[in-house]
Amino acid sequence: MTPLLEVRDLSVSFANEQGTVRAVDRLSFTLAPREVLAVVGESGAGKTVAALALVRLLPRSAVIEGHVLLDGLDLLALPARGLRRVRGNQIAFVFQEPATALDPVLTVGNQIGEVLRVRRGLTRQETRARAVELLRLVHVPAPGQRLGDYPHQLSGGTRQRVLIALALASDPRILIADEPTTALDATVQAGILDLLRETRDRLGTAIVVITHDLGVVAEIADRVLVVHGGRAAEEAPVLDLFARPRHPYTVALLSATRGL
Amino acid sequence: MSAVVDAVATSPLAYRRRLLRTRFLRRPLAVASLVVVLLFVAAAAFAPYVAPESAGRTDFDLLLAPPSWRHLFGTDELGRDVFSRVVWGARASLQVGFLSTLLAIVIAVPIGLLAGYHGRWVDAIVARATDVLLAFPFVILAVGLAAIRGPSLTTATIALGVAAAPGVIRITRGEALALREAEFVPAAIASGARDTTILFRHLLPNMTATLLVQATVLIPRAIIGEATLSFLGLGVRPPQASWGVMLQDAQSYLTQAPRLAVYPGLAIVLAALAFNLLGDEVRDILDPRTAR
Repeated sequence: MTPLLEVRDLSVSFANEQGTVRAVDRLSFTLAPREVLAVVGESGAGKTVAALALVRLLPRSAVIEGHVLLDGLDLLALPARGLRRVRGNQIAFVFQEPATALDPVLTVGNQIGEVLRVRRGLTRQETRARAVELLRLVHVPAPGQRLGDYPHQLSGGTRQRVLIALALASDPRILIADEPTTALDATVQAGILDLLRETRDRLGTAIVVITHDLGVVAEIADRVLVVHGGRAAEEAPVLDLFARPRHPYTVALLSATRGL
Repeated sequence: MSAVVDAVATSPLAYRRRLLRTRFLRRPLAVASLVVVLLFVAAAAFAPYVAPESAGRTDFDLLLAPPSWRHLFGTDELGRDVFSRVVWGARASLQVGFLSTLLAIVIAVPIGLLAGYHGRWVDAIVARATDVLLAFPFVILAVGLAAIRGPSLTTATIALGVAAAPGVIRITRGEALALREAEFVPAAIASGARDTTILFRHLLPNMTATLLVQATVLIPRAIIGEATLSFLGLGVRPPQASWGVMLQDAQSYLTQAPRLAVYPGLAIVLAALAFNLLGDEVRDILDPRTAR
């Protein structure tokens, strides 16, 4: 299958007074349509930086090199306007902290509506209907009532669902979820993972899940990319990785989990 | 029950309005300060109907008369009705208070937002410019403006507005800097939002409470500033009345008729207090993070 997204030799470095720090080092991977790719590694391995670099969401001090090809279009060579069309529309993000990723002074309906109106030019009624539909899609109970709620009135799990609805509002082809379950408790985690898998199955969205939790990997991923020190340590289908880990770092990672 | 839920679901906006009204009415201080503010505004707006006499009408048979039924607050050294002058003064003072604050906010908010959000060279330039403006005494600014335009209420308003702008720029910039770090900003960028959307849909609404409070500090400050300028002959000119002009006139008669200073002084204190209290209360009510 031809890849939807192809990342070739992605490097990210940050310059400061002491010199340059290379957070991501010649990382390459591909993502097929409808695929769930898990990116695992310990804190500081460069997972998040690599993901943000895909659509140039990093601070200006970051130097990004390499190629990020979406349908053969190099996102790193795109001008700012073209990039804005890719952000959200093609590649959408779900951030780690559901508590802060929603704007506290806008209602749920306004936040979803903003994306819809800007992107689609929908009327008020259409926007409302579509927002309700999106909330229903992510299994938020009583979606019509939730539209008028502020983020602080929602539970953590519901906020995460709203964030996913927000990301899905512009029908992205790729959803990047950065530690989508870390801030949630165990039962809610399972629900969010189910939702991500269901999103792939129903909408055909390719998903990149960034996590340090191998439980999440086993639960949801088709393929796994193990990142260590900014480099790709190993890339394998999920079953192979758990059955026959090849890289010593992967072995260490797996045994650390089994030890628990 | 389900009817109630439906009503809520169909119009969240109306629901929110009702909620805010209820919250407002439950706070006695909010209601009281609003009533006082509205009284002042009404006095200013309907001054020709409220004031029994014009601001400049003199009666040389009744100089420095004590309060009576005909002259509620008595008369001043030229036999003018003090109550009427306080009412007419409200017009000048509130006009300067509102308009100069509005001017300051209109100038300062876009600049502060841009400086805080964009950072780098924009921020550096804005920071230097505000420093220069702050180092410039506003009275000198007003004198300069008056020299160009001639002294008037408009001149005073512009001078006060421009003088208040650097403070508002700093506050807006600080808020923008802090809010930029909140995760909903990168989240909005990641969803493809334009800079203008982020500035005016996300950053600005998040700081309305701060700006509102700032405005309620600026309005009374401008009222006092207007008094200063009128005292120097750069603001309201006789025979027009303003609280500042009245205070100035009262100075010479402080021992014989202290009430000449007391009435306009009381008006200033009351107006300032009411605006400040109203601002505090409204901030608490509007803030969605405040508990119901």
